[in-house]
Amino acid sequence: MLKVKNLHASVGDKEILKGLDIEVKAGEIHAVMGPNGSGKSTLSAVLAGRDEYEVTAGEVDYLGKELLELNPEERSWEGIFLAFQYPVEIPGVSNINFLKTAINERRKYFEQEPIAAKDFLKMVKEKSTLVELSDKLKNRSVNVGFSGGEKKRNEIFQMAMLEPKLSILDETDSGLDIDALRIVAHGVNTLKSKDNATIVITHYQRLLDYIIPDFVHVLYDGRIIKTGGKELALELEEKGYDWLTKAKA
Amino acid sequence: MVVLKENNLLNSLSQMGSGLGAKNQGFELLKELEFPTRKTEDWRYTSVKKILKKKYVQFNEAVQVGLSNEIIPSLDAHNIILVNGVYSKELSDVNFPDEVVIDTFPNAVEEHFSLIPSAFNGIAKNNEEVFTALNTSYFHEGVFIHIPKKVKLEKPIHVIHVNTKSNVISNLRILIVVDQFSEVSVVQSYASLNAIECLTNSVTEVFVKENAKITLDKIQSEEPNNNLICTVQVNQKANSIFKINTATVSGDFVRNGVNIDVDGENCTSEMNGLYMQKGIQHVDNHTKVSHLKPNCTSFELYKGVLRDKSTGVFNGKVIVAEDAQKIEAYQQNKNIILSREATMNAKPELEIFADDVKCSHGTTTGQFDEEALYYLQTRGLSKESAQALLVQAFADEVIDKVDSETLRIWIKEKLG
Repeated sequence: MLKVKNLHASVGDKEILKGLDIEVKAGEIHAVMGPNGSGKSTLSAVLAGRDEYEVTAGEVDYLGKELLELNPEERSWEGIFLAFQYPVEIPGVSNINFLKTAINERRKYFEQEPIAAKDFLKMVKEKSTLVELSDKLKNRSVNVGFSGGEKKRNEIFQMAMLEPKLSILDETDSGLDIDALRIVAHGVNTLKSKDNATIVITHYQRLLDYIIPDFVHVLYDGRIIKTGGKELALELEEKGYDWLTKAKA
Repeated sequence: MVVLKENNLLNSLSQMGSGLGAKNQGFELLKELEFPTRKTEDWRYTSVKKILKKKYVQFNEAVQVGLSNEIIPSLDAHNIILVNGVYSKELSDVNFPDEVVIDTFPNAVEEHFSLIPSAFNGIAKNNEEVFTALNTSYFHEGVFIHIPKKVKLEKPIHVIHVNTKSNVISNLRILIVVDQFSEVSVVQSYASLNAIECLTNSVTEVFVKENAKITLDKIQSEEPNNNLICTVQVNQKANSIFKINTATVSGDFVRNGVNIDVDGENCTSEMNGLYMQKGIQHVDNHTKVSHLKPNCTSFELYKGVLRDKSTGVFNGKVIVAEDAQKIEAYQQNKNIILSREATMNAKPELEIFADDVKCSHGTTTGQFDEEALYYLQTRGLSKESAQALLVQAFADEVIDKVDSETLRIWIKEKLG
């Protein structure tokens, strides 16, 4: 589904990704772990299409398309979803209305009719139950007045509504208490199918107790320096990153 | 400087019978006053040169016109209609409940309405504002609105002004007296029908007596190529509430002046404004609140979106007099600029002579919130619809201050 080859990306003059390779197939869950400053959030931003990041080399093939050629909305329409580490508050824009616009714009892209109001409401009801998002929150302005946990649940709610093929969860566990973590993980696990894939970007192993990865990658200094199974995460939890990064140095 | 007086604007005007001494006073002052130049502090960013250069036609009789939904919304209101600056008895409602008076000055005076001579021109700043003096000198018959004591008028009064011929000059004069313990909502809308190059010079005097409440919604949607100068002069007595919402949709040149003298304790004053500009539109909002007595609160929120080559001005002044303690005054001006060629000049001013007050002001002018734009795009909103959604959300904060849902919808429709 996703093939990243020798990806180099910079912000300003600073190179952050320095030749990153990763391959994700449908049905898989990949965890990308790494210490602070290793390039985790840059990876998610580059995949989602944030324009502050300049890709200086490498290629990203997504379902046979050159991903880097697409703008953020086209990536979304093609099935990429980024759950933000810090979901943005947008006063005055209703959570539900903007999702309806988003879904209809995608339908337009695929030359489909707008979603029927009845179907949309049914979908909202079903998907919000999944992450226990109250009616009050659904109708409020996007993320305004939401607690940290509510914001993350709202991200997974949006993910459920948009039914992506490839989801990237950027530090979704940060700032979550154990109950919220469980709800978020339940949402992600329920949405998992043989046709979609998930990249979980995280600093801690904790989230991976709930979302079991097929592969664990260690990102350090802009490169993947080690790939293993789910047991690698436990090893990292126990030993930290030093034994890997020192060996690398 | 007499040179400025030799302009086509003044030459276009002819004196009409008045019956009110104040008119003569206007003429006298007009001789003394000068039209503002870029050197006049209050007009620094707004040039009237082009307005003065034009030749205008003055109407003294109402023209018959058919008015569409665009001019009169489905608002259930007492409609008062002025065509080319002249009150139209045929088009206006004439019967009102609870001894409410809405009529021309001459008609109202004939009914022995002693209030007009004492109230009219009582607070208009003829000696400072040349366009007010001009209005006082040349307005046609004016509209007098009187809400007697302890009357709560259920339906709003909608004063609709429409220019139907090109190059028309309309001097509109409205006098509103809201007596003690009364409540009213007045809508003033400014429109045009296939008319260009007009100048509407509107002056509204509002007296809000003790414990009275008035909301004034101004909706400015003249066609492009028209010019509008709109002055609202307010005097508030104790325990009164005054609220004004100004929505500027179109018109190439719009200058709004709102001046409130808060002349009593425990008053609330609220001013909200929205200007959505495109093309070469120039919109200038000048507001001034003078807190003369203690224990009052004023709120102000003006927001604008500037596109293309449009230019905007916001100047908000809050004055707290020496003995006016315990004043709370909050002022905010926010602008979004969507084009490299658009310009905004924003200037908040506080002049505080009391020592126990709570005042805040802030102004921001910038582009879109890039974070929000990116977030919406990652959810599958095209850049254009994400921008439209953010503009709408930005404007809604002001539109939501309008109490009537019908009017809110009308404003949104006009904004497109």
